[in-house]
Amino acid sequence: MSGDTVALSGRQPRAIRSALAVLRHVAAAAPGVTAKEISAALGLAPATTYRLLNLLVEEEYLVRMPDLRGFALGRRVAELTGPRPVPAVPAAAHAAVSRLRDQLRFGVHLAGYADGRIDFTDPDPDHPPTDAAFLTRHPHASALGKLLLADAHTMPSHLAALTGHTITTPEALAAELVRVRTDGVAMQQCELDPLHACLAVPVHSETTGRLAAGLAVCGTPDRIGAVARPGEQSALVDQLRECARRLAPLVV
Amino acid sequence: MSATSTSAQASSAQALRGSSPVAGLDRRSLGPLPVLAQSVSAVAPAAAMATTPALVTVQAGTSALWSVALAALLALLVSACVRTFSIRMAAPGALYSFTAKGLGPAAAFACGCALLIGYGVLVMGALTGTGLYAGLLCARLGLTAWPPELPGLPVVLTLSAAGALTAYFLVRGVRLSAGLALCLEVASIVLALAFFAVLLVRQGPHPDMRQLAPPEANPGALASVAAGALPAFGAFIGFESATVLGAEARRPFLVVGRAVRWTVVCSAALYLLATYTQVLPTGGDGVLSPLDDPGRHPAVRLPVLLDLGIAISFFACAVASGTALVRLLFSMGRERMTPRRLGSTHPTHGTPHIAVRLVLPFLVLVPLGLLAAGLELRTVFSLLLSLCTYGFLTAYALVCLAAPVFLHRIGELTRGAVATAAVCVPSLLLVLAAHARLNLSAGNALVPGLFTLLMGAGTVWFVIARRRDPERIGRIGVYDETSAADVLHSASATLLHLPVDIAHQQSGPPARRAR
Repeated sequence: MSGDTVALSGRQPRAIRSALAVLRHVAAAAPGVTAKEISAALGLAPATTYRLLNLLVEEEYLVRMPDLRGFALGRRVAELTGPRPVPAVPAAAHAAVSRLRDQLRFGVHLAGYADGRIDFTDPDPDHPPTDAAFLTRHPHASALGKLLLADAHTMPSHLAALTGHTITTPEALAAELVRVRTDGVAMQQCELDPLHACLAVPVHSETTGRLAAGLAVCGTPDRIGAVARPGEQSALVDQLRECARRLAPLVV
Repeated sequence: MSATSTSAQASSAQALRGSSPVAGLDRRSLGPLPVLAQSVSAVAPAAAMATTPALVTVQAGTSALWSVALAALLALLVSACVRTFSIRMAAPGALYSFTAKGLGPAAAFACGCALLIGYGVLVMGALTGTGLYAGLLCARLGLTAWPPELPGLPVVLTLSAAGALTAYFLVRGVRLSAGLALCLEVASIVLALAFFAVLLVRQGPHPDMRQLAPPEANPGALASVAAGALPAFGAFIGFESATVLGAEARRPFLVVGRAVRWTVVCSAALYLLATYTQVLPTGGDGVLSPLDDPGRHPAVRLPVLLDLGIAISFFACAVASGTALVRLLFSMGRERMTPRRLGSTHPTHGTPHIAVRLVLPFLVLVPLGLLAAGLELRTVFSLLLSLCTYGFLTAYALVCLAAPVFLHRIGELTRGAVATAAVCVPSLLLVLAAHARLNLSAGNALVPGLFTLLMGAGTVWFVIARRRDPERIGRIGVYDETSAADVLHSASATLLHLPVDIAHQQSGPPARRAR
């Protein structure tokens, strides 16, 4: 490697074409396609194929399946395709969320957690939520983001101070996530912007048992704070949980 | 992507787990620097630079440089075998889990026991080393403010304090300790380099050709070069320990292999320089160690700083080997090969804290007990380092043997991998035999005896475990498997895929909280 004076030379263009061909072949094949199969299909030398596969795994465009023989596309490939279309909501899920909206005088949003990102699958039309990409970038500052972090047992590398109330130390965030895991409900008060507070409960898929979505209510800090103090069971949290229970069979 | 391939992916994704078998660790959170720091600290190059050249020169005389080069080559080849695994799987059990994927559970457990001995005893040795050099530092500074009937007081206090601090760092996690450890290690290396610079300047511009000339081609000279390679290889031990952070590194398949390789390359460069400059003034009859009597060389003030640097280097080594040890116990705990509690993690720090709490007191008490039993401090130190060498050499030999078998199993075997293993395995066994012979000829049968006894105990444990619960044996080799969340378009990625109701879908991103 020669620092920033990298120029394509010699056999490098061919190597890049081969790498892209490997990527395309894995995308076309079912997950679990092996190095030997790829090498045979593309007519590449085995040693070259192994090398390319390992480079693509290092860069996380490919992943090895649990048997360590087979390959599949990694989540990083999604970065190449730009913003994805927002997944559609089944009518029954939308009906359940709408019913909750009628009962509550708050903004009620349903968000999906595909690929470790937050996507609003059913945002409240009367109270548009914060941009989902912004929430994904700062998961520590939102109730929906905290649910995701608590479930994945991960910490963001950078804790930006969006307001004076944002949690900015790993220790405090870790303690907060423990609280989220124990209570089964996440909360943010003026942590994302100074004027709003949110409360969110997880929706675990009935078929896979995984965290599939989050159901959030948002309002002004005094109104949210008045109905739900952290760790306290309240009618609002019960209503959210009831709705999450109805959603469980509808999400994957 | 066509509809058929999507459904094929979704069905195959059923074989994926929803969560990693090593969940609970602080997964995918460490950048490249802490991973590099783990390997560098475990090797403790600053301490080895000061102590190893003397040991090599005793065996190889003026050919010491060639012995170091030979050892570096072997370490590089072993690191290539380790890399075979580290670019393909991220396992906190490291070489233990790697061996399982190549040679199966029995060999893996043998490797695991050897590593437990290796890392465990290295922690004890490094803590003892911290005490030893802290004691030397006190003596050099003329600090004698304790009762004369307790000459070992500073040693005992430093050893205990270092043990307690190690436990604290291990519970708090790598992120806290790694940056600090790397800074301290670099500072110690700079101190040692400053010392060597003084020696080099005194030598003048002419290179010492006696050292650079290849050794004579007679069996006696070659044998002494090989004998010198034994202590030289010991100075590289620990280079593989970045692999234990596989599950915790953000990009493990890229970062871990690089950390291991660069640790070997940089240590080799430092050791070659250290050996060259330390052999210079005496011409091979002896070595002018930076730790010698202050009166003997010009850099009188440096030894004080060097002692401090070496004490710190040993402390960082204790933390790094402890990091590796508790992750090994964590993996075994997850597999139920050791008590299940060892496999639990701290709720906030994501570290195997139960393993730390159970093991660390033992690691401090053993060297203290040996000292209390009346053994010399230096004897305890060299006994421990000698014992851990057996563990590491055994584990390295097993993982090098496992590499080509593993590649064959997954259908990615190459000639290069076979050749590397064919060189590494016999060489490592040779080094192991030479190490045992050295111990035995010095009338020291205790160390190899103890190693054999401990490995025997491990075998008994394995046989009992297999008889009680054969299924448990099949779980050996746990690693951070690709889970559904890592794969594009796996089940978790397709949320709410039932009939569409887009009446309430907004076009374009909604405005931020425009209410």
